[in-house]
Amino acid sequence: MSTDQLPEALRETIAKDIEPVRPLHPVWQRSLVVAVVATLVMASILFGFKMQLRGDMGQLPMWLSWGCAILELVAGILIVGLALRESVPGGAVPGRTVQTAILTGVALQILVGIMTWAHSAGVPMGADWFAKGIGCMSHDIAMILPTFAVTMWLVFRALPLRAPVAGLLGGTGAALTGDAITHLLCPMSDLRHVLVWHTGTVFGFMALGWLAGALWARHHWR
Amino acid sequence: MIGYQKGSMDDFSALYAELKGPLIRYLWTFVRNTTTAEDLLQDTFFQIHRARHTYTPPRPVRPWIYAITRHVALMHLRSTKRRKEISPVEDLPEVPVAPEIEGLADRDAVNRLLAEVPRRGQEVLILHHLLGMSFEEVGQILGIASGTAKVRAHRALKALRNTIQEEGIAP
Repeated sequence: MSTDQLPEALRETIAKDIEPVRPLHPVWQRSLVVAVVATLVMASILFGFKMQLRGDMGQLPMWLSWGCAILELVAGILIVGLALRESVPGGAVPGRTVQTAILTGVALQILVGIMTWAHSAGVPMGADWFAKGIGCMSHDIAMILPTFAVTMWLVFRALPLRAPVAGLLGGTGAALTGDAITHLLCPMSDLRHVLVWHTGTVFGFMALGWLAGALWARHHWR
Repeated sequence: MIGYQKGSMDDFSALYAELKGPLIRYLWTFVRNTTTAEDLLQDTFFQIHRARHTYTPPRPVRPWIYAITRHVALMHLRSTKRRKEISPVEDLPEVPVAPEIEGLADRDAVNRLLAEVPRRGQEVLILHHLLGMSFEEVGQILGIASGTAKVRAHRALKALRNTIQEEGIAP
């Protein structure tokens, strides 16, 4: 094959660095990695650290306690899957799908909170509501971080052309997998607590994902 | 592409030879200047090289390549806008026009009028009608649903047809 058509500068640069590369795994396989991490985090917290489940688990129907936790976990992994699809050139997720995924994720978290509150008032917030809130948020962050880190690593290992969008989707998905565990642990159902501290954490990770994407894009395309 | 991923320089050269023309044509739709489009073609191939591990066989290769190309062009536009550089506008380079578009008017007129179609529609027309991509592939490149791509192409073609009729240059 002739290389006549190749400009010299391009030919030289490519020839210097033509080593074989291993293609990325398909999106479903990379999503599976995130699913394994999220499930391991859930299992280690519930069974490894033997953290106490919320006191009113008996008052909640199975579909609302374990059912909704699994639903949040699955929804989170699906949204992470969209982030991983978005991170590969030519795999851009249509804008409407991005909007729907993010709105569905946030709505699911809030809806689970409302339904739980409707079934059981849980532990009252009390005078130390702020300290309890900070405690809950710290737990949330610790539970979300491993999944978030793996998701971002997988997203930025590819080439997200709309990195903030990929980061936003990844952040939303990872946050939802963490909230699935919180739903089983946090004893407070009061909506003010749920919306401020737990939904707030979800929004925080969404913003963090978007920011990570924006910074990555600025650095990569400089 | 698979050979290139395995480290074959010949396969890279073949890829370059095959894509050079269509990519310059596509880049031109952003910058409207052949020299700039040729410069951007080199940038595009540097980026393709850096990102070659992100292509996953057996997925179609064209959406992957054109998405990178589009991004390189958009980044260039963003940086020139920041620097307030204005490139001289040229006529569209000679393009093989698809029969359904060529039937509307003679080739020179189609080339001239294509350049006047708003970029959103022009991009879809170029990708689908001139470069022969499916609407699904166009959607994957632009980040829109295939139905939206179809609607944009239909509107752009209609606008092109109306302009041709208004100017009375139908063959």
